[in-house]
Amino acid sequence: MMQRDCRETLAEGHRALEPLRDSRVLITGGTGFLGTWLTEMTACLNDLYGFNTRLLLASNRASSFKDRMPHLAARPDVHLMECDVRHIVDLPEDVAWVIHAACSPDSRVHVSDPLRTIDVLVNGTAALLSAAARLPNLRNILHVSSGWVYGAQPQELLRIPEDFWGALSPTSVSAAYAEGKRCAETVCAAYRNQQRLPMVTARPFTFIGPCQALDKPWAVNNFLRDALLGGPIRILGDPQTVRSFLYASDMAFWMFRALACGKDGQCFNIGSPEGTTLHELALKIAAQVSGGLEITLPNLSAKACPGPRFVPDTARAQESLGLKPTVGLDEAIRRTLAWNQWEQATA
Amino acid sequence: MQTERLRVAILGSGNIGTDLLIKVLRSPHLDCALFIGRRLGSPGMAKAMSLGVRVSDQGIDAIIREPDCCDLVFDATSAEDHKRHWPVLDRLGKIAIDLTPSRVGAMCVPAVNLEACMDCRNLNMVSCGGQVSVPLAHVLGNVFGPLEYVEVVSTIASRSAGPATRLNMDEYVLTTEQGLLTFSSARRAKAILNLNPADPPIIMQTTVFARMPQSDLTRLALAVDLMVDRIRQYVPGYQLIVPPVWENGRIVIMVRVQGRGDYLQRFAGNLDVINCAALETAEAFAQSRSRDRDEVKHACRS
Amino acid sequence: MSKLSIHDPTLRDGNHAVRHQLTAEQIALYARAAEAAGIPTVEVGHGNGLGASSLQVGLSLLDDATMICTARENLARTKLGVFAIPGFATVDRDLRPALDMGVDVVRIGAHCTEADITQRHISYVRERGKEVYGILMMCHMAPQETLLEECRKIESYGAEGVVLMDSAGALLPSDVTARIELLVRNLGIPVGFHAHNNLGLAIANAMAAAEAGASILDGCARGFGAGAGNAQLEVLVSVLEKAGYTTGVNLYKVLDLGEVAEQHLVTSMPSIKSLSIVSGLAGVFSGFAKHVEQIALEYGVDPRDIFFELGRQRVVAGQEDRIIETAEALRAAKGNRP
Repeated sequence: MMQRDCRETLAEGHRALEPLRDSRVLITGGTGFLGTWLTEMTACLNDLYGFNTRLLLASNRASSFKDRMPHLAARPDVHLMECDVRHIVDLPEDVAWVIHAACSPDSRVHVSDPLRTIDVLVNGTAALLSAAARLPNLRNILHVSSGWVYGAQPQELLRIPEDFWGALSPTSVSAAYAEGKRCAETVCAAYRNQQRLPMVTARPFTFIGPCQALDKPWAVNNFLRDALLGGPIRILGDPQTVRSFLYASDMAFWMFRALACGKDGQCFNIGSPEGTTLHELALKIAAQVSGGLEITLPNLSAKACPGPRFVPDTARAQESLGLKPTVGLDEAIRRTLAWNQWEQATA
Repeated sequence: MQTERLRVAILGSGNIGTDLLIKVLRSPHLDCALFIGRRLGSPGMAKAMSLGVRVSDQGIDAIIREPDCCDLVFDATSAEDHKRHWPVLDRLGKIAIDLTPSRVGAMCVPAVNLEACMDCRNLNMVSCGGQVSVPLAHVLGNVFGPLEYVEVVSTIASRSAGPATRLNMDEYVLTTEQGLLTFSSARRAKAILNLNPADPPIIMQTTVFARMPQSDLTRLALAVDLMVDRIRQYVPGYQLIVPPVWENGRIVIMVRVQGRGDYLQRFAGNLDVINCAALETAEAFAQSRSRDRDEVKHACRS
Repeated sequence: MSKLSIHDPTLRDGNHAVRHQLTAEQIALYARAAEAAGIPTVEVGHGNGLGASSLQVGLSLLDDATMICTARENLARTKLGVFAIPGFATVDRDLRPALDMGVDVVRIGAHCTEADITQRHISYVRERGKEVYGILMMCHMAPQETLLEECRKIESYGAEGVVLMDSAGALLPSDVTARIELLVRNLGIPVGFHAHNNLGLAIANAMAAAEAGASILDGCARGFGAGAGNAQLEVLVSVLEKAGYTTGVNLYKVLDLGEVAEQHLVTSMPSIKSLSIVSGLAGVFSGFAKHVEQIALEYGVDPRDIFFELGRQRVVAGQEDRIIETAEALRAAKGNRP
């Protein structure tokens, strides 16, 4: 199913990734949701279009990737490197491209161990970049930051553009991830300036698709899980909260495109510009389950509406890189539900 | 008899490993051949270098590359890591003293089973509460015969509980209960852990309860005193604060453990006690090796 | 009109008042009456939650499984809740079987500065797809900014709501207002409040919480709970309705529920005894009362001295063993006096 998604995306798109041909890409955090999709897409580039792109996936969970994704782990064009990004000293000389996406996206870990989170983000980035600075054939680095670096989105701002400076409280314990990502961006900017490293920044927002763990405490995952369990879908928190969801294969393509063709110093939001409330999202998911599902709303007394937003402005990605979402939300939900049902059935 | 020092390596350069290093450096029986972490810039590594100790940032690979550097390895990393490390150490013929809650090796509480441990090659130091309470539960079992139920409550300073401890409360509870069952002959055991955030931080405190009809406590009091003396030989901050009393259908014994404050703070008796126990165990290995060697020499001469 | 959700821990907090000796008949009877009254959630168990039956905090007459199954058999629309404190309760031994037995709602508690220890347990319940709330106990012991930080953690762990427990009944209404307002303003999940009546303020504090934006309130029939008891459920529902909130609870039936509790659960009606006042003033967990009373008697010392001394040492819930040590020290000091 994931292969089919990648083939569909690349039917047109593979031409836009030509620079990646005959080269090696290092992905830190390479066995997570993003890394898995990038690997699937690379497999497709190589198998269908003879790209001869080789991947080096650096991860502190390389061994579990072999269990989860044996068909990818066993490929000759995929190499796994078990390591903690903070301890990287040397990189293979033939690495031409770097996608830096290491750090657990689990918000529970961020608040329970904020010091480690900051350490991985800031010192991990520095360790990687000083190793990358000694690569002889380095073409580009894509730093995968986070949409959270903007802090709370102001109500009057429909979509966050890349030059919005944001509003974060640096002292809150829940700020460790966002502030760590901000500081990592600063570290990248410093390496770019001082060591002349090529650098493009991606700021991912919210995604949907196969391989996302349904037990993570995020709205869309839990709605899907509730739906797969036969409902009802329970909305926790404010049902008027606005999010946007980019399908996983689009996400992977946007990342590769930003890496291959983003201009040094550029920064791109990666996400869908189409906002939807959690309530609408739950309705859409419920509508795709045969017989329909009940939706239960939380007991929130007179909370201010409209709810908080988290929606990117993606005009820059569209203008500079020609990127648009190709899979709509309803279709994304359909595919994700189908994949998870298939997973459950074959488990 | 001339004692030859046992060469040890410490795997893990966090707070526990670094505190243990200082204890090892003070020991007349041990020699720290290598202090191993992952990053030379970490505070533990910096401390070790400032003390003139040889360090490596290569993790377990440091021992694979230089297998002859030591005879015994303290593992102060994490339970997950120890599960990976042990097959390697086993193959290289090392003795492992495991300070993580991996439950891979045999449980070791020096005041109770040190001698038996000398036949094992991977020893697990149970848990902080286990090191403090198991000897007392053991005494209760010895004095009164098989107990119906024993319970241990430990309260530690919030600041002495790092992220791993907090995430692994369940492992603490299960490991401590397993230790109690193994060494006290009790049919059922329960462990409870509280974190107290008071400022200044409280010193670790542990209470051992046993369900019991009213009984004569003279023998128990004596046996507890002896045990406390034995523990104090290797945990100097171990202190009996409420000697055995019978109250409302239960026997109650309370102790407090102040740390030595080597690298960790003094209130962190919970971290100190497990290091003290690990050190005692390693020293016992050192002495037993020296004895064996002397016996061989003696045999050759005669 | 604002909607409020009522949470009824009579069969859990009330267990403190009877030394955890509630019987299966009592649980069945009360559960049926609560169902009839349209109570949204009934919480059952040892006073300190799952896995807490112990010499430290009191042995329970019934084991957790019996309590849960008994309540389960007698509830249909009303949800079945349990409480669990990491350090007492573990996922494998306690939470997993409880969920397997049909528990709908789990509340995971921690001392108010120690929310991190709830991560594993909240995650587990959430991953099982059940309702889970984070509870901060003894919430008078930390400044409101600290409470907010801890609540943010709980929110990140995936709890659907967070409840502050005034476990010592030590807060004044203005304290409650300040705490709840700050949380409601800054959190994306519902905020609740659990009052104790040591200083006669349980209803006033629960109302202050409602006015400040809390959307979950705890109440126990006849106030049946630790120390001087909790916010009295029947009074709470009535006062809320009068103030213009809807609770979905039937007034006559909840009044009947109070009668059921009085006739079948309560051995001595909760009242504000001297010791409860002292416990509230000293800021010591209400659940200590029975233990302090008994140990003071055994050691021949003034229980009030024990409470104030424990308050000075800033003990937290779960440190009941300190009572003996403190009583012994007080007795020794008395003996030394000329």
